[in-house]
This record gives sequence, C-alpha cells and structure tokens, in this order.
Amino acid sequence: MTVQQDLRQQVLGREVDISAAAERVAPLDREKILETLNVGREGINRREFLTYAWACALGLLTLESGLATYRFMSPRFEAGTFGGEFHLGSAANLPATDLDPQPNTAGKFWLVNTESGPHALYMVCPHLGCLYKWDPINNQFLCPCHFSQFSREGHYIWGPAPRSLDQFRVRTVDGDSELSKTKEAGDQILAPAIGQPGSDIVVDTGDRIRGLPAALSPVRAMNRAD
Amino acid sequence: MGVQQDIREKGLIGAVATQADSVFTRITAGIDAGEFRRMLQGDPPGRPNPRLKPHAESFLLHIKPTYYHESVTRFTHTFRLGLLSTYLFIVETITGILLMIWYAPTPERAYPDMILLLTNIPFGQFLRDMHRLGAEAMVAIVTLHMVRCYLTGSYKPPRQFTWFTGVLLLVFTLFLSFSGYLLPWDQLAFWAVTIGTSMAEAVPPAVVGEVVNLLARGAPDIGANGLMRFYLLHVLFLPLLLVLFFFVHYYKVVHFGISLPADEEEVGEDTANRVPADKRVYYLPDVFVDEMSFMTVITTLLILLTVFFFQAPLEHIANPQSTPLHTVAPWYFYWLQGLLKIADKFIAGVLLPGVLLVLLMAIPYLDYNPSRRGKDRKVAIVAGIVAGTVMIILSWMGTPEYAVQGAPSVEIVQDVMPEEGSGISREIGYKHLPLGVWRTDEEYDVHDHEFNELLHEFYEAVDFYRRTDPDFNAPVGQVTITQDQPGLKKLKWEIFWFDAQGTEGTYEKSFWLHEESIYWEQYGWKHLFFGYVADGWSSMSGALAGE
Repeated sequence: MTVQQDLRQQVLGREVDISAAAERVAPLDREKILETLNVGREGINRREFLTYAWACALGLLTLESGLATYRFMSPRFEAGTFGGEFHLGSAANLPATDLDPQPNTAGKFWLVNTESGPHALYMVCPHLGCLYKWDPINNQFLCPCHFSQFSREGHYIWGPAPRSLDQFRVRTVDGDSELSKTKEAGDQILAPAIGQPGSDIVVDTGDRIRGLPAALSPVRAMNRAD
Repeated sequence: MGVQQDIREKGLIGAVATQADSVFTRITAGIDAGEFRRMLQGDPPGRPNPRLKPHAESFLLHIKPTYYHESVTRFTHTFRLGLLSTYLFIVETITGILLMIWYAPTPERAYPDMILLLTNIPFGQFLRDMHRLGAEAMVAIVTLHMVRCYLTGSYKPPRQFTWFTGVLLLVFTLFLSFSGYLLPWDQLAFWAVTIGTSMAEAVPPAVVGEVVNLLARGAPDIGANGLMRFYLLHVLFLPLLLVLFFFVHYYKVVHFGISLPADEEEVGEDTANRVPADKRVYYLPDVFVDEMSFMTVITTLLILLTVFFFQAPLEHIANPQSTPLHTVAPWYFYWLQGLLKIADKFIAGVLLPGVLLVLLMAIPYLDYNPSRRGKDRKVAIVAGIVAGTVMIILSWMGTPEYAVQGAPSVEIVQDVMPEEGSGISREIGYKHLPLGVWRTDEEYDVHDHEFNELLHEFYEAVDFYRRTDPDFNAPVGQVTITQDQPGLKKLKWEIFWFDAQGTEGTYEKSFWLHEESIYWEQYGWKHLFFGYVADGWSSMSGALAGE
C-alpha cells in the first residue's frame, strides 16, 4: 500500500466514522483540565494575593508613566507653523470665488474660495505624496507624478489617487467664539458658511480631514479608464 | 502534529491550556503556571529546584545569584543601597533620554528649551525636577553605599577590587552629575562649571593645566564648544563608562557574594559563598518580589518628593559678562570649595583631592587588619568618622556662610530678593506686593499673610546685622513698591545705617517683577506647601480660612 493510499484510507475512514472520532475527543472535564494545566492549589492565599497586588501596582505605575511619556513626547505646534493654526485675517479679505486657488507654502495648503465657503486643500496628493499643481488652463489640479486630477474644490476627477484631496478644517471666528467650521456630513465635506464678512478665518493644519473615496466624487470622470 | 495529538488526548480546552502553559513557560524562561503559583503561594521548591532554570536560560537573570544567605537579605545589613544606586541610574537614564527630546545643546537653544519645558510641555517640569532630584540622590546614595561598606569592612579580602571599582563608580557619578550642571545654560550652570574647570587649570606645570582646561571647555572660556563637550560627556561618554564599570563591579559582587555580618563568621574567613541549605533564600521568588516591591515604593516616594517638595533651580540665562553674588559649586563639591578658601589652588584643587582619591581606592590594600568586626577595628572606624566630620566641616566652609560675607546692606537685600533664584519676594509673587513705601522701623496693619511674612523677614535680616556688625548701627530698611508699567512692579530696596564713626551709609538696589513671571508657579506652590508643613497645621488652616 502506498503512502497516498494509506492517507486516503484514513481520511475516508474518518469521514465515515465521525461519531467515533468525536468520542475519541475527551469530554469537558473540569478535573481533567486542571490536571492538564497543573496550575497548583485551588484558591488564593495571602502571600499570593499580595504578590498580585504588588504586580498590579507596578503595572498601573508603568501604564501611568507610559501615558505621561506619551503626553510629554507629543509635539506642540505654534500658530503659523505647519501643524498649528494659521490666522488668515478677516473673511472680507478672502479671494474672490472665481479666482485661481492661492498656495500657502508655510501651511502646506491651497486656499480655495467657493460660493459655499472657503476650503484649505492639503498640498499633498493622496496617491503617493507628490505635490500637485494648479492647472489654470483646464481649471483643475494636476499631480505631476501620476497625473491624478482633482477639481477646484478638491474632488477626485481621474487618475490613480484613491480619494479626493485632503483638507484642513477651516473655522470662522469672532474673537474667542467660533461661528462656523468645515464639517463632514456623510458623503460630502461642507465648507464653513461665511455669516459676517468681518469674522476671522483660521485654518487648523493640525486637523486634517481625509478626502472622500474616489467613488463618491460628484465629478468623477466615468468615461475614462482608471 | 503535536497539537492534534494533544486534542485527541486532552480535549480541545485541555489542548489550548497546554499550549497556553507552554507559552507561559517560554516567557518566564522555564517556570510553568503551576510552579509559578506554588512559588507565589510560598510552597518550597522541589528537588532538583525547578526555579533555577530562568537563571540559566534568561540573560537578565543570569547575572543575578540564584540564592542569598539569609543574613544578607536583612534590610539593615545593606540598606539596599547598591540596588538603590543602580535603580537611580536607570531612573536617570529614562528621564534623561526623555528630556533629550526637547533639548538641543547650543547656547541659542538650551535656555529657551528649558523655558519651553517648564511652560509648554506636559510633565516637562516634572521630568526635569525628577532628573535633577535623582542625580542629587544618586550622589548621596552612592556615597552612603561606600560608607556602609567601609563600616562593615566589606572591602577586605577577597573584595579589594570590588571596592576599587566602587570608588571609580563614585567618581563617575560625581562627574556625571557635574557635567549635567552646564546643560540648562543658566547663570548657575555657567558659573559653577567655570569654577569647576578653572580648578583643572591648577594642574602643574602650567602648560598641562591650560591644555586640560582648553580640552574640557573647547575654548579659552565656556561657550558653544564647551556646552557640546559637556553634553557629550553627560549623555554618552560618562554613562557608557559607568555602565562598563558597573558590570565589572557587579560581577565581583556576585562572584564573591555579599559579605556576611562580621559576627557570623570567623575572623579572616570568608564564607559568603558557602551557604548552608537551611540558610538559603532563593532569588526566585523571595528576593525578586522583595526587590520589585522595594523599587515600587521608592518610585512612589521619588514621585511624591518631586511633585511636592523639590524643584530644579533655573536662574537667568547664562551671562559671561556678569558673575552673580554667592556663586557656589554643587553641594557635593562644597568640601573642595572649602579647601580652596584656606589653601592654594594647586594644593587644594589638585594635590589634596588627588591624594584623597588614591588613598580611598587603596584602603583595602593598606588595611592589613584581617577582622571585619567593629570591636577589632576601632582605629579604622574612628578614622572614618574623623574623615567624615572633616568633610562636613569643609563642606560648611564651602558655603557662602563662611568667609565670603559681603557688606550687611548687600546681604540683607540678597536675603529677601537675591540676584539669582527666587527669594521670598518673588515666591509670594506679584499680587502679594502692595504698592507703597514699607519701612522696617514701622508697624503696618496689612491683611496679607504672605506680605507680612516678607516684611518680617526683611526686619529680621536688618536686625541680625544690627546685632552682629559694629559698623552697622541704627539701620533702617525700606522697600518702595511702585507700578512701573502695567503688569510690572518695581521694588526699590534701600538700607540706611551709621558706621562706628557715626557716618551715614546708604545702599540701594532695584528689581522688577512681572505679573506673569513664572517664579510663583515654579517655586511658589512647592515652597508654600513645604512652608506650611514646617509651620505646622495652624498656618495651613489659616491659609484655608483665607487669612
């Protein structure tokens, strides 16, 4: 009998004899499990309890130090540096809604004003991290690396990029009180409404909103192959 | 294949349990769950002892002995000072590496980084305080460890070389602590290190001294190069040296065993490594649990001390053009400063410390008395106590208390509002300094507990010098507090007195204090808390009642 035949015999035998196989598996027996585990006496004595108490205290101390260390190590950002807030001044100074997007190199965003409010688009292509450019002739953003295209509002049009452009949260504030901010509402990202022309515009580059998946883009080019 | 076999034999749960147990055994390097629990429950080990396996299998445990003599595990025999020194070194390493995240060793950034750490980083001040406290504690504990070994005669054969490496470790600890002094780049740092390195200049002949100094500072005076050199010494070179010699030291400690209490063995014998079976205390679990719980308690204590009672000083930014009044070395070099006040720079700064160090290292090779028992070592113990006393007296002479008293008027103002550090005026802070002219020869009815304390201390300081200095008669102190700018108060201190000839003298010094100055936050609360503990419950309850 060859090895293969032997194996086949075994497998077949098991198929036929499932109930016998189940019986060969030992039933759940508390005694037997404890014996297998060999975990020592049942119950817990004072000495063992105290050791666990020490170990827990030590664990807690380690956890707390870990959290403190995390807080200590987390970077802090000043206003005006990337990662912090950018104060762009009064809403009245925003560019007109028909003008080309304006780059802010320190904050790494393109400022785009639209009818519904301003967007601050993160300068980096969501595909592989290249810096895309504004193409004024076609009125769209174009990535030089793999030619991903995005609309003026940052919506995905075409190319290998997996999603629309990321954007930073824009807030309109009056003194200390917040009036409106960029909101994620299901399958769209809403720009903050400009209620008062005198309110101030703040772009928080520490709060990045991921662009929506390409499939959800309202301007996706369906006729072009991906 | 093994798993299938297991399931067939023990059932699914049994097989999982077996697997879990084998993982557990691998993590503990040889102790299964059952043995682990028997260990914690205090059951004696079987024979052969299965709890020795981790010592053979794991790296971290192979350097620890498998058992100790019962007598050396008593707390009062060693006071755990060696363990404590090692523990503090680990604390210093961890806090030090964390602090390096926010620190750059350049004159432009070092001091602003300190301010950033104190004002804008969560736990920044805590870590800095803890690092400083740990450093000071480490110097103290390592020294005490040496004193303990001296008093129990533990340096005697066969442990001479252990002592020798121990003295080296003490020296490295001192240099490690001192090299960290410069890094904050404040006045304290700059001038303490200037003093320290200029001592090296006394090494003869003059050319050698200059070269040593030049190499340490990286320039004729301390600047960017010096800071970088001290930084590298502090974070890399000295710690590596210390770790290397720690292992040499610890290898010897394990190799010869911790010396027994002298009464438990015959004179001239060393039985530390011949432990009778009934005297053995095994490392696993007894000593291990003991050491871990000890270190947990010490960590808690260190955190409490750091939070409530200790702050690392930070003075003004280093100014190479101006030496502050009463510049001192760190406390563990006070004795050296004391020596420098009474002797020549070469003798006190180089020769005597050098001879002392060589003597300290050579003690085990010079002491021919074979007995470690106190009653046989009267000369050695008396000599040790005399040496310790001399060190304490020299240290006292190293403080500004001794032989550097300035004019009374200068000292009085320095007392209530020093050039560097906080002093009571800055501690009580901006809001407790009412505008007006306040004199020490008048009584005021001010409803401000803190300000009354300041007036009282001012009066006490003036009165102290009136009583002790014949050239300081009928003195009056006056402080004029004015609003110099919004949020900025000016404190003009004036002292008027008559000398022995009856000539009138005056002294005047002004300081400004900003409303948002961090003195109050940095020093106030801890000092306040400490003050209340010192004053007792009454003033604490008074403060709570809003007095």
